[in-house]
Amino acid sequence: MDFAFTSDQQLLKSSARAFLDEHCKPAAVRLLWDDPRGESEAMWKEMAQLGWLGLALPEAYGGSDLGMVETALLLEELGRASYPGPYLPTMLVATAVNRVGNDAQKNRWLPAVSAGGARAAVALLDGELSWSAESIATRAEKSGTGWKLYGTKPFVAWAHVADVILVPARGAEGTTLFLVDPAAAGIKQTPVTGMDLATRWVNLALDGVPVGLDAVLGGLGKGQGVLETILRMGAVGAAAEMLGAARRCLDMAVEYAKVREQFGQPIGSFQAIRHKCADMLLEVENSHAAVYYAAWALDANADDADLAASVAKAYVGDAARKVCGEAIQVHGGIGFTWEYDLHLYFKRAKALEVQYGDADYHRELITRRVTA
Amino acid sequence: MDLNYAPEDLAFRQSVRQWFQANTPKVEPKTLAERKAWHRTMYDAGYVGMLWPKEYGGRAATPMQQAIVQDEMARAEAPPAINGLGIGFIGPTIIVHGTEPQKQRYLQKMLTAEEIWCQLYSEPNAGSDLAGLKTRAEDAGDHFVVNGQKIWTSSGPIADWGILLARTDPKVAKHKGISCFLFNMRQPGVEVRPLKQITGSSLFSEVFMTNARAEKSDLIGTLNGGWGIAQTTLGYERGANSLGRVTRYLMGFHHLVKSVKDLKRDGRALIDDPVVRAKLGKLYAELEVQRYAALRVLSALSKGEPISAASSITKLSYTEFEKRFYETGLEILGPWGQLMPGSPDDVTEEVSTSSGEPGTFATAFLWARAGTIYSGSSEIQKNVIGERVLGLPKEVRADRMKG
Repeated sequence: MDFAFTSDQQLLKSSARAFLDEHCKPAAVRLLWDDPRGESEAMWKEMAQLGWLGLALPEAYGGSDLGMVETALLLEELGRASYPGPYLPTMLVATAVNRVGNDAQKNRWLPAVSAGGARAAVALLDGELSWSAESIATRAEKSGTGWKLYGTKPFVAWAHVADVILVPARGAEGTTLFLVDPAAAGIKQTPVTGMDLATRWVNLALDGVPVGLDAVLGGLGKGQGVLETILRMGAVGAAAEMLGAARRCLDMAVEYAKVREQFGQPIGSFQAIRHKCADMLLEVENSHAAVYYAAWALDANADDADLAASVAKAYVGDAARKVCGEAIQVHGGIGFTWEYDLHLYFKRAKALEVQYGDADYHRELITRRVTA
Repeated sequence: MDLNYAPEDLAFRQSVRQWFQANTPKVEPKTLAERKAWHRTMYDAGYVGMLWPKEYGGRAATPMQQAIVQDEMARAEAPPAINGLGIGFIGPTIIVHGTEPQKQRYLQKMLTAEEIWCQLYSEPNAGSDLAGLKTRAEDAGDHFVVNGQKIWTSSGPIADWGILLARTDPKVAKHKGISCFLFNMRQPGVEVRPLKQITGSSLFSEVFMTNARAEKSDLIGTLNGGWGIAQTTLGYERGANSLGRVTRYLMGFHHLVKSVKDLKRDGRALIDDPVVRAKLGKLYAELEVQRYAALRVLSALSKGEPISAASSITKLSYTEFEKRFYETGLEILGPWGQLMPGSPDDVTEEVSTSSGEPGTFATAFLWARAGTIYSGSSEIQKNVIGERVLGLPKEVRADRMKG
């Protein structure tokens, strides 16, 4: 029983922190808010060189063969930096290809992802905004030797920069996953602006998008299990990012409370502020335990891996919102300004709350499991 | 990072589980004699005082082994050991700060619960501000004469001995004039008046000391060095019980689920009510997070890492959670949740409370109010976290300005 990181894991974390402190400063994030792509090609290439993009992929495809714990460590740092870009969806799609893809699909996508030459998006929601794999309404209609896809896929993160979009659709065989070319005919992309300008969402309208047999990932009608895996990994990954955002806000609040003076004293000497900071730390430490337990459980294929993923997403979503919000409160007026950086992290945590299953969805999954 | 239990820990857990299956009493021990007998049975099996050194009757076990025993006790819903303050806090204090004759005289009988111990710290005007205590111990040549009043003394009514903080030098700053004694509760100058709690039971008390006697040989540490000792006592590891505590909540959760499946509201089972389901999901998520956090503490303890100030986070976390846990439980159960012990069996669910006393959800709900007050209130824990973990500036306090 060892809950501490190994020295390799600590090294990964500290080198990620150092890189992002240098290359993903708040000023750099802000510059990308106005960029049509919203992410930096140069940073993506550097992340590839650091081995981050192939972190959990096999060495044969240019990866490092590490697991969800390392991925979560990295995502925590990315959340701490409010990193703008498709790291998490790319990692999820690459993992799915690695697990259930055929050789041609693996050879096409995995080396490219590791090398920084491919990005991916995953269209988890459709029209009715339900997270459960059973409720997918997007249709795959047989057409010649392939299919045509019809449906609506809202809030697809980073679809506009993706080289491939993973689209689940329902056909005669059940739910099937398709690797779809974003440039294919019949796809209409409409960007939507959420509050976090460093998270880009696109609404996809699929109107007869042609896909062939080579686009099928993991077998006809075999999509549901893979989707559930993606959702679980996405939930833990998002929780890790939210943890990073929360810890950044806590650190900023504590530093501010040490130097900001009112009534002739640092405000951190007042119990009203100090107790708030203590409550924030409690939430951050509990979130740390939740994220890394869940990440370990996925790596170890533990019996409670599903449960732990839902626990992490539900708990950390609430905790991060509270911690980031209280950091604004500790700062007072300056914390509410556009110029001050707190809202970068506040909004990142908020954007992730509604992705990969919101807290209500995961709580229902928990209840279903523990009352059965 | 590896959260698997080691093979030897799994094997140990298996043997402990079998022992509790075979030995947990079918009828809850009620009298002090019955509870001492159950304590003794567990002690003989090696499940009490596990972290203590062997030379003083302990087992020199690992924190993980102790955590496993606590966890399995909770799973079996076995009655608790007694003398928890003695074995958890006072004994280790004697082991660290005591003289060899003190160790020989007190430790073994504490472990076996032949002698019950209490903690004589809080006073009517010294609660969170413990260092402001007024009880005096005056040097009378061959012994100290003790005068004063203590309050909120858990186990006071059954205690044979107490660990006492008393002022031995009133002329110096308040933290510097306090000494720590081992104090005989069975003497003419000591009067214990039980206090009835909001739960209806009387597990704590007031203690009046009038010209009572503390032996010089029972001074712990140096004269006027009591505050430092009290700090270590307050700071003793809170980690090894944490797994068992979470499992106790888990058993409570299962009782709650059982009730929710049986009870109906608006023509349907409560378990089918989406509002109830959302509450259960939130509760269980929090409960699991408590378990993960407990494993994290246990991992640090197992490696011998100091968790001193961080133990304030653990204490704050579980006591505040415990309040939310039973509050939500009572919300869900409605009037059924308010039934006290003694109602007909078919409408009440027994759960174990934080005191170890068996009871209903209502008793557990009431007991949960104690956790955020005893052993340093939540507010004191937050001060400790703010100052010692986050490094926030100390507050300006009138007593610090004077001292």
